[in-house]
Amino acid sequence: MDDPLNSAQPSANTRVKRDMEAVAALGRDAELMLRVRDGDDTGFTMLLERHRAPVIHFLHRMVQNQAIAEELAQEVFLRVYRSRATYEPTAKFTTWLFRIATHVALNWLRDGRKEKGQESLNQKLLDGLERQVPDSGRNIEEEMLYEGKLCEVRQAIESLPVKQRAAVLMHKYEELEYSQIAQALGCSGAAVKSLLFRAYESLRARLSHMA
Amino acid sequence: MICPIQTKESAEILVDYCAGTLDPGRAAEFEKHSEECADCRRLIEAQREVWERLGGWKPGAVSPDFDSRLYARIAQEEAAPRWSQWRRFLQPAAPYSIWKPVLPLAAACAVLAIGFLIRMPNSRDGAKQVSAENVDIEQVEKTLEDLDMLTPLTVPPARPM
Repeated sequence: MDDPLNSAQPSANTRVKRDMEAVAALGRDAELMLRVRDGDDTGFTMLLERHRAPVIHFLHRMVQNQAIAEELAQEVFLRVYRSRATYEPTAKFTTWLFRIATHVALNWLRDGRKEKGQESLNQKLLDGLERQVPDSGRNIEEEMLYEGKLCEVRQAIESLPVKQRAAVLMHKYEELEYSQIAQALGCSGAAVKSLLFRAYESLRARLSHMA
Repeated sequence: MICPIQTKESAEILVDYCAGTLDPGRAAEFEKHSEECADCRRLIEAQREVWERLGGWKPGAVSPDFDSRLYARIAQEEAAPRWSQWRRFLQPAAPYSIWKPVLPLAAACAVLAIGFLIRMPNSRDGAKQVSAENVDIEQVEKTLEDLDMLTPLTVPPARPM
C-alpha cells in the first residue's frame, strides 16, 4: 500500500531540486526571493537593499518626479512582497522586477495622473530649487551650463513615447539585455531593437550636434 | 562589411558599439568599415554624444525613510482582514480612460445577447408545437393498414417438389 507521506516526498524533492537549479542559473536574487517565499523576511530586506536605488532611479527618469518615483517604487516592492508565495524562479529577478516597475510606471503615465503630479522643469529652474545632483565643486556658470544640459536631456527623454522611453532607460541606465527588456515590455526582441533604434534616432536629433 | 546604415542591423551594431557591448570581432570589423564610411563615422559620433549626455543625468538620493514607509505599508496590509485584500482584484486593471470607448460596444453586445436569449426559447417551443400539430393518429393508422395490404402481395419463395 502506498504511504501518502512517501508518495508526496518526490514532488517536494523535485521542487527543491528545480529551485536549486534555477538559483544556480539565475543567481543571488532568485535565491533571496526563494528565501522570502519560504518566510525569511531578511531576504526581502537584502533584495530591497540591492534594488531600491535602481528601481527608484528608473521610475524617476520615467515620471520625472522624485516623490512620485518613490511612491511608485513602494508599489513595486509591495507587489513583489505580495507575490512571494507564488514566486517561481523562471526568469532573472531583475527582469521580473523591471517588468513590474515598467507596468506601474506606464499605468501611472496612462492614467492621466501625470498632469497632476508633474513638476515643471522650467518652473523648477525659475524657482531656483535645489537640484538633485550633489555639489560637485562647479562654479555658478558651470552649474548653470550643467543645468541647461540636464534640462535638455530630461526634455528629450520626456518627449519619447513611453515604451521607447522605458526601453532606453532600461538599456542605458540599468544595462539590461535586449531579451530582458523584451520580457519587461512584453514584446519581442526584434520589437525592442526597433524601439531602441527609433528612440536613439530621436535623441540624436535632439541632443547631438553631430546629427 | 555591408554598411550597417543600409541594413536592419544598423541599430544593434551602432548602439552596441557605442555602449561598448559589441563583441570584439564585430567591433573590429565595424571600426574598419567606419574608417572608410563617412556616414557611419558621423553616426558613431552622434550616438556617442547622446550616450555621454544621457550618462550625465544622475537622479537624486533616495529618501532616508523609504524603507520604513514601505515596511509600514506591508505591516498595514498584513494586519488588514483577508477580505479587504480582495478589493485590489476588484479594481479595474486599466484606467477608466481606456475603458471608456469600449463601453458602448460592450453595451451593444449585451443588448444583442439578451435579444438572442429572449428569441431562442420561443423559436424552440414553436418548432415543438409545429411538429406536435403535424402528428395525426389517423394518418399513422392508414399508413400501417397500407403496409398490411402490401404484405400478401409479396411472392412466397418457391418450395422444392
